[in-house]
Amino acid sequence: MFSGKSTASIFAAWSLCAVVSAQAQVEPNTPAAREQPPERERGVRLEFDQRPSVRIGRLLRLDVRLTSQADLRDLASPSASTNEDAFDLQRLRVGIEGTFLRKLEYQVEREMRDSSDPWRDVFVNLRVRRAAEIRAGHFKLPFSLDQTTGSKGLDFTYRSLAASYLAPGRDVGVMVHGDALGNGVKYEAGVFRRGGKTPLAVTGANAVNPRTVAGRLVLRPWTPSTPKPIRALALGLAVTSGRVPEGLNGLRGRTVGEDVFFDRVYVNGVRRRVGVELQWRMGPVSAQGEAIRVRDERRGQGIDNKDLPDMVSRGWYFNGTWLVTGERKKGTIEPTRPFLRNGIGALELAGRIEELSFGSDMAGGGSSQGPRAPHPSEKSDRALTAGVNWYLNEFIKVQADVVRELRRDGGRVLDSRGRLWSRTVRVQFAL
Amino acid sequence: MSMPKLFVRVRDLRYWLCTALVCVWLPSVSTATGESPMTSDAPEADALFDDSQLHDIWIHVNDRDWAQLREGYRENTYYPADIEWQGHVVRNAGIRVRGRTSRSGQKPGLHVDFGRYVSGQRFLGLKSLDLDNLWQDPTMLRERLAMLVFRRMGLPAPRESHARMFVGSGREFAGVYGVIEVIDKQFLGRHFNEDDGYLYQYHWQDPFGFANPSSNLDWYAARFEPRTHENESTSALFAPIRDLARAVEDAPVEQLEEALAPYLDLSTYIRHIAVDNVLSQPDGLVGNLGMSNFYLYRFEERTLAQMIVWDQDLAFEDLELPAPSKNFDINLLAQKIWASPELRAMYLMALVDVTLSIGPPAGTPEVEEPSQRQCPAPPGQPVCGWLEEEVSREYAQIREAAIADPRTPYGPEQFEEGIEFLKRFARERSRIVRHYVSQIDPGIVAASAVQPSGTLRTRSRQVRRPE
Repeated sequence: MFSGKSTASIFAAWSLCAVVSAQAQVEPNTPAAREQPPERERGVRLEFDQRPSVRIGRLLRLDVRLTSQADLRDLASPSASTNEDAFDLQRLRVGIEGTFLRKLEYQVEREMRDSSDPWRDVFVNLRVRRAAEIRAGHFKLPFSLDQTTGSKGLDFTYRSLAASYLAPGRDVGVMVHGDALGNGVKYEAGVFRRGGKTPLAVTGANAVNPRTVAGRLVLRPWTPSTPKPIRALALGLAVTSGRVPEGLNGLRGRTVGEDVFFDRVYVNGVRRRVGVELQWRMGPVSAQGEAIRVRDERRGQGIDNKDLPDMVSRGWYFNGTWLVTGERKKGTIEPTRPFLRNGIGALELAGRIEELSFGSDMAGGGSSQGPRAPHPSEKSDRALTAGVNWYLNEFIKVQADVVRELRRDGGRVLDSRGRLWSRTVRVQFAL
Repeated sequence: MSMPKLFVRVRDLRYWLCTALVCVWLPSVSTATGESPMTSDAPEADALFDDSQLHDIWIHVNDRDWAQLREGYRENTYYPADIEWQGHVVRNAGIRVRGRTSRSGQKPGLHVDFGRYVSGQRFLGLKSLDLDNLWQDPTMLRERLAMLVFRRMGLPAPRESHARMFVGSGREFAGVYGVIEVIDKQFLGRHFNEDDGYLYQYHWQDPFGFANPSSNLDWYAARFEPRTHENESTSALFAPIRDLARAVEDAPVEQLEEALAPYLDLSTYIRHIAVDNVLSQPDGLVGNLGMSNFYLYRFEERTLAQMIVWDQDLAFEDLELPAPSKNFDINLLAQKIWASPELRAMYLMALVDVTLSIGPPAGTPEVEEPSQRQCPAPPGQPVCGWLEEEVSREYAQIREAAIADPRTPYGPEQFEEGIEFLKRFARERSRIVRHYVSQIDPGIVAASAVQPSGTLRTRSRQVRRPE
């Protein structure tokens, strides 16, 4: 599967460093350290509760964040140029977060391994009350449960294809959000500079304002008398709408190995996304699913300048997890008995089925190919993933996934290039 | 007794129902797939290259794409387009700007790749096609005329015709274009009865004429772009070309033919440079700046290679020039041919053969009133040679469209002047070349005067191996 002694030794060394540093970080995380006497909240002080933190009374809190992860990948890709079988330090992200005057939260995060687009979350958040907060800056648009989940909380080594390639990602904008009715309703609504992370080809004469509005609503309309299995369920709906500049700006479909199986097409007009989601967490077991549809207008994009049927991209996934060691499933897993501290950590089994497909809005008329084809041949990628997650402690996680993909073109399974196997092992250290 | 009849009727009914279903279903299937409107009786590529008519080609392309293509004419970006010719349409082909010095945003030359977006798609059996903008030629005829001469002399050369090109939904007239056959596997199959050898397009970088060949294979990779076997190793692709260059350098003059026999068909090469010379091509195999404008084909499982002519729009440059050995000093192979009495005679003979094939018969009197000249010539007038007739025919075919061409950089006067020069070239060039040859070897011209043209190969062989 993975070859090369040097690769293995690098991986082992990196893992060891991560474990040792985690142990060093873990030491201060004792019950004694967590119990801060009220008098210590005055003056400037340095704390290490979960992560390094500087506090100036109640005026300012500044926490240091660090996320680092390395992958051993054996990604299947029909194109030899992207065929990977390598150890790769995928992520080295550092940042700060905290509060100012308790009401104003802030976060600044930078990816050290990405020189072209290094900034991740850079925003301030004014918390008027729990039901009314305002966030401004660069952050993820409120769309897709999987996309808006932090990397520390992901159940697999890669986000679902639907979230990766259909959700908008980060952008600069302003958003109001909050929790109401005792967590029964969570809402997010904002306006953003453009449609997210996807770079858009804009030519001067055809430039339009690609401002995008986005909103997401998550409901848990349950009462205390509702049976517990139902109370564990959250249902959500999200939408975005914004103009896409005329050009080769359609969405691109990629496989898990990032091989392009559907290339960009010419679009012009409004891009609308609709997503529905569910999440169910009960004790050590969880289930989660989403369905996303993106519709792109193609006004005047025909070869003879005629309007083409809308491009429709669809994606869905459903996954389930089970913490075998019995911990409660939540965003960050804290093993009851951490590794090397009288335990083995937490073990979790996970499985996911998903599909990503691209085609036009109109049935019939014959399918074809090309960036201005009226009825692009429907192409899809269905993936099955089985994974094991090992949480050594609350800072270190080791994930192993096996993925089988099945690609189709016009309903026909691609024989030689369609069935792909990928394997990934990831070690993540998050502070 | 009635039961069998009823049975027959029911069976008939089934038959007719099935027939009706098939009749309804089949057309719907062919409509639904809709990818290729070509039917089994669709014309072959020969019809597109039929030079007896001026064709019309309509490029259906999005206005924005066409504007971007013209604006970014230095790039090789593909854009989707439907190509229509004589009512036949191929959908979702890819077009990009082609050419080197002839690149223009005003009148872009186009390379059409029918399978760019639809895998395996062909049009009239062709995988691709070039539409030459004829940017460097006021007459718009030189490229096609030159290729005809090469083919007339038995050398493989692309088929060409002329077309009026229309663009966009408004069917805007975009000018007169040359419709040029691409040198690819289909071309190889037609000319060599094989297509799996190694084909390269030569890209001029600096003057090269086989002297001091580089030992670095990357040097060859930068100049010889593989058009087949593209993914093979550098060694497999370019070591044989290096070997060919070394063989030329190492071969002694007196054994040149034998030494090069495994690598190069010398008689074909000599004919090629003879045609270049007669056509006054400054940018060919023995050009002013070294070798240029050719493909190299190495035959299947052999080291033997042959050069194939390409891009002749600078031919017919000068009526008086060049002399037979012009530029031979900067081409080692030509230099060695010239130094070998036998091969030099073969080359001179080839020159005379070309002149006899395309020019008026030897001894034809000069035309007294060129402006009144008609081809074919009326009785009593000097006979027109093949080339002069061809110039007249093609001129008549494209004249109206060429003058109406909205994007050509040349005016009608330049077009007419250029045509007059071509006609004069066709009438007089042969005599001038034979004069050059007679100064070097009078016997060859004297012998040729009584020989019919078109016997080049036979007589060349006699010269090569005299008894």
